[in-house]
Amino acid sequence: MSNTETKTESSDSLITTDVETGSNDRTAPSNRTAVAARDLNVYYGDEQAIDDVSMEIPEKRVTALIGPSGCGKSTFLRCINRMNDMIDVCRVEGDVEFGGKNVYDGDVDPVALRRKIGMVFQKPNPFPKSIRDNVAYGLKIQGFDGDVDERVEESLKGAALWDEVKDQLDSSGLELSGGQQQRLCIARAIAPDPEVVLMDEPTSALDPVAASKIEDLIDDLAEQYTVIIVTHNMQQAARISDRTAVFLTGGRLVEYDDTTKIFEDPEEQRVEDYITGKFG
Amino acid sequence: MATDTDTARGEGFGEVSRVRGIVFEYLSLGASVLGIFALAVLLIYVTIDAFDLANADPLWLLTYFLTLVVPFLGFCLYSARDPALTRRAVAVAGGGLVAVAAVFTAIEAFVGEVPRLNWQLTYLFVAVIPLTGYLTYMGARGRPGSVGFGLIGRLIGGTAIGLAFTVLFLVFDERLWFLAYTLGIVPALLAYAYGQLRDTPAAVTAALPVSILGVLLAVFAREALRTYPTTAFIYLWTLAIPIAAAGAVVVNGRGSRTAALTAGGVPLALAAAVGLFGRAAGLGVGGPNALVVIAVTGVPVAVYLHRVFDAGDGLTGLGLPVLLAAGALAGALVVETFGIPTPSPWVSETFLTEAPSRTASEAGLYPAIVGSVIIIAMVAVLSFVLGVATSVFLEEYTADSGVVGGLTRLLQINIANLAAIPSVVYGLLGLGLFANFLGLGFGTAVTVSLTLSLLILPITIISAQEAIRSVPDDLRRGSDAMGATRWQTTKNVVLPEAFPGILTGTILALGRAIGETAPLIMVGAATTVFSPPSSLFSKFSAMPMQIYAWANFPQAEFRYGVVAAGVITLLIILIGMNGTAILLRNRAEEGH
Repeated sequence: MSNTETKTESSDSLITTDVETGSNDRTAPSNRTAVAARDLNVYYGDEQAIDDVSMEIPEKRVTALIGPSGCGKSTFLRCINRMNDMIDVCRVEGDVEFGGKNVYDGDVDPVALRRKIGMVFQKPNPFPKSIRDNVAYGLKIQGFDGDVDERVEESLKGAALWDEVKDQLDSSGLELSGGQQQRLCIARAIAPDPEVVLMDEPTSALDPVAASKIEDLIDDLAEQYTVIIVTHNMQQAARISDRTAVFLTGGRLVEYDDTTKIFEDPEEQRVEDYITGKFG
Repeated sequence: MATDTDTARGEGFGEVSRVRGIVFEYLSLGASVLGIFALAVLLIYVTIDAFDLANADPLWLLTYFLTLVVPFLGFCLYSARDPALTRRAVAVAGGGLVAVAAVFTAIEAFVGEVPRLNWQLTYLFVAVIPLTGYLTYMGARGRPGSVGFGLIGRLIGGTAIGLAFTVLFLVFDERLWFLAYTLGIVPALLAYAYGQLRDTPAAVTAALPVSILGVLLAVFAREALRTYPTTAFIYLWTLAIPIAAAGAVVVNGRGSRTAALTAGGVPLALAAAVGLFGRAAGLGVGGPNALVVIAVTGVPVAVYLHRVFDAGDGLTGLGLPVLLAAGALAGALVVETFGIPTPSPWVSETFLTEAPSRTASEAGLYPAIVGSVIIIAMVAVLSFVLGVATSVFLEEYTADSGVVGGLTRLLQINIANLAAIPSVVYGLLGLGLFANFLGLGFGTAVTVSLTLSLLILPITIISAQEAIRSVPDDLRRGSDAMGATRWQTTKNVVLPEAFPGILTGTILALGRAIGETAPLIMVGAATTVFSPPSSLFSKFSAMPMQIYAWANFPQAEFRYGVVAAGVITLLIILIGMNGTAILLRNRAEEGH
């Protein structure tokens, strides 16, 4: 279950709980690997949700996970920041490497891990607090001792929300529209400056206009962060992602390649059928 | 033609019987109305007995109706600014008068005499009081009304909380409090403020240990020290000054420094002047208790006045207390001048401030009121803290499956069953555990508070669990995904969201605790004590115990007048307590 080769390399980086500032060199996209899965199997009780998946996700790119309902793509996403730990019956075998370390190693604190990985959910879930407190939430719980207001402004700008809310930072986050709420959640996720941002169908609960704003935003985010996004919407995957992974029923990763390749000339017939809408 | 097709259609579909639904609807409506009606009649009679209204002269009623009720209703209508409402109100008041008088006369003529009621009183209870309630509600939605009621609420609430403070100091040692405050709380607050202002986290972290150390030090110093400042100075230093400072901070936060100094300083100066020199100056009021009450009432009132003047809207509402006071005075004056006979209510100053007596007219509830207030304060703190802790543990910390999950379910079932155990059994538990085994004494405040806390704990836990469970899981996952620990998620997201619900459950449970008699009898609380308790370990009584004792007295004055007065006092205190808690809850809900 654990990967002994990488265990010693940078075990400190996951256990520290401080916010790192400006330590990442975020210039042009590199081809370094941010997250890698090796022989990953996930079970819910007796049912297998992910079947022997291995894949490497590049740094500072947008990687889309697509596939029909129940194919395990959200489960895969939640393995990366160990949100599956919350589900009692969930059992994980194999490795998920992040920052040169298997996140399922015994000495990894999942709470410390999640401080380096932001997450955005399907349904916007801002806290019933002010906009400022929502964005500052991660900073607060991590004991950030820099200038919180400056970081809040930066994050809201990063989430393309600053101009709309700069005069009402003290009003409740719940007063915003659905699309604004989702961008607030993105601002909240990027405020502690994570390395990876996970998005679980971030636009499926939004109207097309709000969704397209989020798509534009995801494009910008990839300049600074590794973005991994689960989506049901194939056009969306084609528009915004650099790499696409296609999961099919049974939790198998059927094909994983550059997005243009997947959408124009997939290797597998099943993938082509799925993308052209013959099933799914 | 049209009718033809309609019939054809009707025949085509047939009809579905709704008889059972309609019968059910009216039966359930009837059942609930019957219950409420019975309770209303009881409360009307209790009120009539407690205030001796049966002997009230119709002229006396008319006088106060004209000087107090009519101006108040006028104020509400003025605030609501709704001509249609005004017309309806006048119609109800006038039509009600005619209708009640007619129906009442008819009943007296054909059915028989209605005991201790006349048509004027019936009109009061059937028309005037509901109308007043409704118009108060409508008036409060207008700006002047909301300002007026806000001011009156702060006046009454502040006085009540101030009095509660003085009652608590009957049993809690004010000198120990003085030392704990001076040595523990003040240094801790200073450290915290210093840390916040100078960005020194170490000072903030030090605040808690400093306060604990200070309190421990205070416990030792209490024995060693011989001389202390007077009680009035202690109250000034430990209560009035911090409350005034808090008020000033609130006003300062709204942007005005001079106003902040005034809002904090004026009530403080008034409280100090009356408290320290009132008696000597021959004002008739004074002493430490007056100091506390003035400070606790004056500061919120001053802060509120600043807010109202700042908003500059609905200023006429500030006249409401003046209007009511003037109305009461004018009524008294008229009654005096024309020699109208006044009723002698059982709920009187004597009743509220004197000890029980063998003579009905001298009987008082004071020691029992003090006892009840102390118990309720302790039960509220104990059951809230324990209930929230247990429910957080059960909902947020235990697993759903496996051995732990099984144990949790077992615990859950047991808690649910505990809620159904008769209170006498809890009394027995309190007797065995707290009074005998732990030696906390028979019928002492500590024993009774602990017993009642145990009694309502299951209810508190179950309702708090419901509140916590109703917090959407999305929020928890959102917080977890940010890298929050379980505790951080609970503290920052779950508890603030669940707080109003938790408070609702605690209020209901406390309502049960304040009225309990059986467990008090079991742990040996006295039915009657003649002086308020002087410590947590002295013998004391509670309101329901005293009422129960009076109900067994042979004299009719006790069984009707004094018991009714006791019930009314108990209900008013209960409603006041619940009202405060509900306001707090609504404030918390608005905060989101």
